[in-house]
Amino acid sequence: MINELRKLRAQFDWFLAGAILAIVAIGLVNLYSATRVAPHGRYTQQLGWESAWLVVFTATAAVDYRAFERLAYALYGVGVVLLVAVLVGGKVVKGSSRWLSLGPVSIQPSELAKLAVIIALAKLFSGDPMDLQLRPWRYVAAALGLLGLPLLLVMKQPDLGTALIIFLIGMTVMMVVSLELHVKLLVLGGEAIAGVAMVLFKLHGYQKKRLMTFLDPSLDPSGAGWHARQAIFAVGSGRWTGKGWLHGTQNQLQFLPEHWTDFPFAVWAEEWGFLGCLILLGCYLFLILWALNIAAEARDRFAQVVCVGCAALLFWHVFFNIGMVAGILPVVGVTLPLVSYGGSSLLTVMIALGLLMNVSIRRYAY
Amino acid sequence: MTSPRARGTQAPPRRFFWAQVVVGAAFFLLAARLWQLQVLSGDHYFRKSADNFVKELPLLATRGQILDRKGRVLADNRPSYDVYVTPRFFTEDSLAELVRDLHLEVEGVESLKAKVAGKHGLDRFRQVEVLSDVSRDDLAILESDSLALPGVSVTASAHREYPEGTLAAHLLGYMNEITAEELSAHREQGYHPGDFIGRSGLEREWESYLRGKDGSERVVVDAKGRRKSDLEASELESLIGGPARIEPQPGDDLETTIDLDTQRIVENALKPHHSAAAAVIDVETGRVLALASWPEPDPNALTGHLSRAEMAALIADPARPLIDKTVRENYFPGSTFKVVPALAGLESRMVDPDERVICHGAIQFGRRWFHCVEPHGPVNLHLALVESCNVFFYGVGDKLGLDRMAETARDLGFGAPPGLGINGEVPGFIPTMDFYKRQGAFQKGVVLNTAIGQGSVKVTVLQLAMAYAAIANGGRLYVPQLVDKIVTPSGQVVQELEPRLRRVLAATPDELAQIRSALFDAVNAPKGTSYAARIPGLEVAGKTGTAQVGNHRVREAAGSALADHAWFASFAPARHPKIAVVVLVEHGGFGAKSATPAAMEIYRHYFAEVAPQDAPHARLTEGRRGSPGAAQPR
Repeated sequence: MINELRKLRAQFDWFLAGAILAIVAIGLVNLYSATRVAPHGRYTQQLGWESAWLVVFTATAAVDYRAFERLAYALYGVGVVLLVAVLVGGKVVKGSSRWLSLGPVSIQPSELAKLAVIIALAKLFSGDPMDLQLRPWRYVAAALGLLGLPLLLVMKQPDLGTALIIFLIGMTVMMVVSLELHVKLLVLGGEAIAGVAMVLFKLHGYQKKRLMTFLDPSLDPSGAGWHARQAIFAVGSGRWTGKGWLHGTQNQLQFLPEHWTDFPFAVWAEEWGFLGCLILLGCYLFLILWALNIAAEARDRFAQVVCVGCAALLFWHVFFNIGMVAGILPVVGVTLPLVSYGGSSLLTVMIALGLLMNVSIRRYAY
Repeated sequence: MTSPRARGTQAPPRRFFWAQVVVGAAFFLLAARLWQLQVLSGDHYFRKSADNFVKELPLLATRGQILDRKGRVLADNRPSYDVYVTPRFFTEDSLAELVRDLHLEVEGVESLKAKVAGKHGLDRFRQVEVLSDVSRDDLAILESDSLALPGVSVTASAHREYPEGTLAAHLLGYMNEITAEELSAHREQGYHPGDFIGRSGLEREWESYLRGKDGSERVVVDAKGRRKSDLEASELESLIGGPARIEPQPGDDLETTIDLDTQRIVENALKPHHSAAAAVIDVETGRVLALASWPEPDPNALTGHLSRAEMAALIADPARPLIDKTVRENYFPGSTFKVVPALAGLESRMVDPDERVICHGAIQFGRRWFHCVEPHGPVNLHLALVESCNVFFYGVGDKLGLDRMAETARDLGFGAPPGLGINGEVPGFIPTMDFYKRQGAFQKGVVLNTAIGQGSVKVTVLQLAMAYAAIANGGRLYVPQLVDKIVTPSGQVVQELEPRLRRVLAATPDELAQIRSALFDAVNAPKGTSYAARIPGLEVAGKTGTAQVGNHRVREAAGSALADHAWFASFAPARHPKIAVVVLVEHGGFGAKSATPAAMEIYRHYFAEVAPQDAPHARLTEGRRGSPGAAQPR
């Protein structure tokens, strides 16, 4: 027993855990300020989730990832079934049906679909590398199929932000597996075209409006553009060191929209300034680079692709959320990992981090 | 790790190196953007975010009062209830309800809709004033019906009130809402949309003193425009970046020279007439005790809401209630002007006061006949003024010529605005040879007609009053004074205005005494034109005038639109003049018939009620017996 603990201490990834803890701490400090003016109970609700999901994180890290490898397609199937279920019997909120009631709790199956896609693609690309070299198009077609099914289901809801993330995760994974360069370029080009087409034809009215106002904010200074503009005021007005914790006027006086879910970074930027932003960006950068290091040192191909997928998930969430708040990307509902309020997105991120820890602990095993 | 299989399945590490480079570049991009927003443009956005939540509410200054010479209030402020609408919460239903509650007319509904429809974005959360000064009854209805009126609120503010109603309406003036052009022209003076501004009279001319200076209160509001009052004072100041409240400075009070009682006496004397004007001047100082133009509009109505129909009726009224007839209108002075050729003749020694002319009732100059009222027989200068003989003055005019008469007329202040300073005084007109030469229509007749106050001579009521006051006081022509003091609400005197002498007349005291004597007999000698209308014991000295209206031969009955204007220009008590009174009754016919009785009424009440110590009989009881020396008929 003592021996096992000693072994665990030696194998435990302290850097990964440290980065996670730092971001969680920042997230809790920030959320306390952001939810001061929110409906009551958000902060304690988030604390409750974090405690519960810590158990899930531990469990995910503890179970040998080869179990996930074996159950990969089954997990993927569960994800797809949940996506279908939400379309049939989900709650409709603001024109989208995203929530599925399971007893007392509501979950967003589209969040879990991200993980299902990562695991299924990892399983697909963990086969014989020679086969991958010889028959690349078979794998590409299979990957597109695994990616496309949940993507279509999510777009049907519609949930543009999640669809975008699933799409980007899939693309990232295909860019790093052992495929010939020309195959990759063709896939990249095809996906880009498909993405643009989908954005143009499948967008809801309000999503189209958001996109158009992003391209020209003066179209509607008080409607869709207003949110984006107020977020920029918040970020910019933080200057070097910020207005101080709990003293962000844009935040406290509710000039920020949905600021505990989609715009917590604006709150952080306003109250902690550029220096605070550098600290948070640094934490994320370290976490993602470390995740790629774990991928590089992973024992096998499955673990490697899972880690790349999880790193991609973290990266695209962070990049889109902060890019959106800072006004260089359109406003799409993408959360900031470990900082945004919300049980489902937090669960997804915790499981992803658990998978990283899982692989990291076992990199020298066997 | 060391197993060949494991190594074989691993992707080359460099792949992740490039992925890491991409991640690093992306984060660098984010950091660069944040640097741009927070460091390079941070101050700009800081101000923007401050603009978001700092809302400046004006604290309106209380307008100064206008007081009479004894401190009685002529213009005041009272609470008014204004209806505001918040467009964001204002529905069709609440519009319909509002229209029903207040019985709004189509015109009002349209302007209300326009005010609400013009708002977009955040402006839709800001209140817009849609109706000002609703009645207390309407207020009660709105309050009891508030549940059916989402987006409607009522706020109390100060509204101008004239407690004496129409009294001194033209002097006081009125106020109404500032226009968009004025707003942009007076932006630095701190006017806000919806402010009221003085439109005429004292309200307009003394606007800058009466108005005061609005203060402001800066408050913190949240995104829905709700005021945050739970913030601590120090936090509030740090958010706002300065003091939260600038107190308004109330406007200064205006103490006028007007005497409320005298003004009321004058207006009561004018009331029986269709259209009239009068001035009462303190002859020793040139202070205006009363100045009235009848009929008068109600300044309370003009300052409140006047419908278009009501305004049109005021403009179309043939009695011209919106015109201040004391300074804004030119009239032929008629015989009241005869003091001018008389003084000019004496000054120039071209008329011997003892020389007699026989009046046969008319006189021929060239081929034209010039008429008198009746044959007066032999008259000298004194008798010609007493009996108002035209024939005598035709001769005087002929002797003096146009320019010599004009010289004295201008000396007495005619032909130029007297300088009251309100309501756009007109200068009147004194013809000269130069004028007729330029017109190319000079005939001898115009000289004769000028001598009796016809032809092209035009004067105003106030000019005549100032000229008669100068004759009464021995030759000092004053600038009419209307404002005595400017006082802060706490009683500090900001400025005290002194009587201003315009000039000393060229006439000698003896010459003026001769004129005064003639004017005394014109009222008190049995042959005087006003003898029948005199009130014994008042010792009024004065001259009637009958000014032709248009160019008619037939004498119309008094009151007809073509009847002559009736004048009486006078002062009293004749021996020690205190006040000058000029009355004009439009279309009043003969001066002695309508204007003189009105003036007598003014004197009677004035010396009985306002200044009994100045009344002639008061001095009589003090022992100064006998008729006034200067008033001995020659």
